[in-house]
Amino acid sequence: MRDLLLRKCCLTDENKLLHTFVFGQYRRSWFYITTVEVQDSAVLKKVTHFSIVLTAKDFNPEKYAAFTRILCRIYLKHGSPVKMMESYIAVLTKGICQSEENGSFLSKDFDARKAYLAGSVKDIVSQFGMETVILFTALMLKKRIVVYHPRIEAVQEFTRTLPALVWHRQDWSILHSYVHLNDDELEALKTCTGYIAGFIDSKVSSRADLYDVYVNLAESEITISQQAKEPMTMGKLHKEIGQLIVQSAEDPDKSDSQVIKDISLKTKEILTNLSSFTEVSDDGEKPTLNFEALKQKRFPPATENFLYHLAAAEQMLKI
Amino acid sequence: MEEVDKILIRSLRLSGTQVPEAVQSLREFTTELIVEAVVRCLRVINPPLGASLSHVLPPSMSARFRIGMSLAQACQELGYQGEVGYQTFLYSNELEIRRLLLFLVEKLPRDDAEDVGQPAGKSAVLLRAIAAKIKEQLGTPWVPPTCRTPRLQLLQGTSLLTPFQAHPLVLPRDSGPVELQEFFRGFLPLVPAQPPCLGAVAPSLLERHASDLGAQHDWEAEWQSQGLASRLPPKEYVQWKRQRLRRRLLDQLRQASLSHSTTGPPQPGAPDLTQLLGVLSSRGPGGALAKGSRFSHAQRLAHGQDLQELVGQMQLAAETLPSSKTSEQETQALQEMEVTNLQGELQRLGAEIEAMEGQVKVLELSLSQAEGVLRQRQLALVGREQTLRVKSRALELLPQAENNLDKLQLVVEGSAQRLVHLAAQWETRRGPLMEEFRHLRATNRSCQVESTRRLSEMQALHERSRNASAEARRKEELCRQLLAELESLPKDVSRAAYTQRILEIVSNIRKQTEEISKILSDTRALQKEINQLTGKLDRTFAVTDELVFKDAKRDESVRKAYKYLAALHENCTQLIQTIEDAGAIQREIRDLEEQIESEGAKKTTANLERILSDYRALRQENAVLLGRTQEA
Repeated sequence: MRDLLLRKCCLTDENKLLHTFVFGQYRRSWFYITTVEVQDSAVLKKVTHFSIVLTAKDFNPEKYAAFTRILCRIYLKHGSPVKMMESYIAVLTKGICQSEENGSFLSKDFDARKAYLAGSVKDIVSQFGMETVILFTALMLKKRIVVYHPRIEAVQEFTRTLPALVWHRQDWSILHSYVHLNDDELEALKTCTGYIAGFIDSKVSSRADLYDVYVNLAESEITISQQAKEPMTMGKLHKEIGQLIVQSAEDPDKSDSQVIKDISLKTKEILTNLSSFTEVSDDGEKPTLNFEALKQKRFPPATENFLYHLAAAEQMLKI
Repeated sequence: MEEVDKILIRSLRLSGTQVPEAVQSLREFTTELIVEAVVRCLRVINPPLGASLSHVLPPSMSARFRIGMSLAQACQELGYQGEVGYQTFLYSNELEIRRLLLFLVEKLPRDDAEDVGQPAGKSAVLLRAIAAKIKEQLGTPWVPPTCRTPRLQLLQGTSLLTPFQAHPLVLPRDSGPVELQEFFRGFLPLVPAQPPCLGAVAPSLLERHASDLGAQHDWEAEWQSQGLASRLPPKEYVQWKRQRLRRRLLDQLRQASLSHSTTGPPQPGAPDLTQLLGVLSSRGPGGALAKGSRFSHAQRLAHGQDLQELVGQMQLAAETLPSSKTSEQETQALQEMEVTNLQGELQRLGAEIEAMEGQVKVLELSLSQAEGVLRQRQLALVGREQTLRVKSRALELLPQAENNLDKLQLVVEGSAQRLVHLAAQWETRRGPLMEEFRHLRATNRSCQVESTRRLSEMQALHERSRNASAEARRKEELCRQLLAELESLPKDVSRAAYTQRILEIVSNIRKQTEEISKILSDTRALQKEINQLTGKLDRTFAVTDELVFKDAKRDESVRKAYKYLAALHENCTQLIQTIEDAGAIQREIRDLEEQIESEGAKKTTANLERILSDYRALRQENAVLLGRTQEA
């Protein structure tokens, strides 16, 4: 973990680019790193930069960004980690701590749902247009998505928004927004079924074993890998969804959360449609898909294929 | 005159005359030398004319006389305008000889200077041929026996024409595991015994040496360019490089496997590997592996067996069919039935395969779902275990809730305090360590700066040494080239040098003429002045004479003065006359001296004496001959 955090921290990097705030996930624990440049500090004479790393179990970049900023200010003022430790423990036990300048930090102010909604779906749609439906499909089917951009900030902003496309799952643990091409990290990544991974190393495009869908953010390109072509076949249903997404996102009156709501409504519709083919088995377990019923409905093959894979992703198959 | 003499002597040497090194001017020429030079020149200019003349002066006086006569005649035939006779050669005069030799040298054919230097005679020709041959052979470089052309084989021999066959040699090294050392000490055969045949020893050694040298050279070049820049000790650098290579190989392998897996659906087991190998081999240089790996080979063999079996079965069927002795139609009907049967079978099998594929797909999906479920449940389990633990603790504490809550808060606060305390303690440790770390880092950085400086210095030194050696090599090359040029120079350069010299002389002469004309004009001006002065003097004297003469009639003392004046004038005139005479005499003396000198140069007395003695010798010879005739 120590190596990993050192690698993520921009101070050990050789190209000396400063990233004020980065975050990511490694084996289900989140890390948040804030880096500050020291200018004319009375207590830190020999320090030019320092980073504060927080690890937590929950995904909430805004909360931890604010919190680490406060901690940074404390460190800048006192030049000792002890004060920081006090504040941290105060937040941990009481959920509140006094900030140096004004007011106090309240962890209650930062709701997880707010963090989920922080990204802008509209931006994604405006960048990719109809192709957004590929991302939507990949997320619905729990496929592996790799996002590449040379700037880590862009990658993080983009990747954190993607899970909002499948709002009904509320699952942000699939997000690995800052991954290096390092054996340990890739190993951890491979234990997940579907994920969204952000890379800043362009070599990732040649690692076809890592992704089903490759998003080159810098050039606005989406590539579907060979092995994922079959389940990702697009049909009329996808066109419909895509049009809905684009329409909703292009409406200037609608906010991001409303767009997400639209998409999630459509998703629910599909899921109810799907659940109409299910039958409840005797043990009171989850409903399972009746494949024969699906077949009898005579959907177009692409739609049928999609629904079937979706059922697998939603764990509605009979085993 | 010395210049002219040098040119003359050089030309004479070229024409084949053996002029001794000590002789620097024509004055030192002996009669023999003169005769030889003239004869050689004549031979070159007009071979039939010169062939009849001997270049060695005979002892007999009359023969000498005859040679002199014929030489003079030959010279006249060539068109020599000046006076020439036997005395020119036998009783030489420097001026005459110079004029004659100049004439002859001018007549020498110029264009083929080499031919000029070619003395007549068979032995000389032979010697020249031998020399040319040796020179040519020395000029051709030595060529290894296998590379010789037939001509070169004739020149440098055909022996040692064994093929160059090198074998790897094992040389003992100091490093390595103990077993290897033991092997080197006890069991390694000597180098001459290592190649299978004796003829391969030298090639093996050469090859080994060349490869070692190449490796050393490569390593040095690389170390200079990259090794030094990496700031690692040589050993670590080598290790690092090896690791990098391994990593790159791994990358290549992975890429190859990936590009394969994207071209077709993944298949389990061996076929996968064969395809991978196929991909690799197709990437290999020139498709050297195109003949296929062992796996593909085995696979092909298996297919071949299947085919063979099929063919065998068909043959069997064909044999059994005619044996049933049914008619053509029946067989046809039978065949058709069989075809339809087989087609039905094929369709059935196709449908089955499709169904199976669908099933496989379903199963795969189920598997992935099951995996997902499993993972989810595992996670849920961990979460639940945790909540269970918390809740069970809470349950334990529930009976005295108020009390325990206070206690818990106390514990929490206490542990928070402890943590803060620990943090403070850690900080007390960390502070000094951090200081030390910073200090060390600063030292390290200064060291690095120093090492960078040294490195750049070293590189500069290397560069300089390389430059210096290159410069030295270049200069050596230049020196060699210049030497070669120098060797080939004297033949061609003389003309240009002499032309230049002549031009210089001409310019000198021009300068001298200018000087002379200047002196002449000076003299003229002087004469003019003298004339003027004389005129003035005359006039002054006339006026003075008149004035004094007028007064002299009246005054006795003035008369005396007049007398003195007249005497003074006369004396002065006399004086001038005397000076002029002295000048004329001096000029005459100089003329005479010059005459004497020129006469002295003509060696008249010596020549006369020699003529006398020769005359006496002639008379004696004549007397002897007369005596002999009378005796006869």
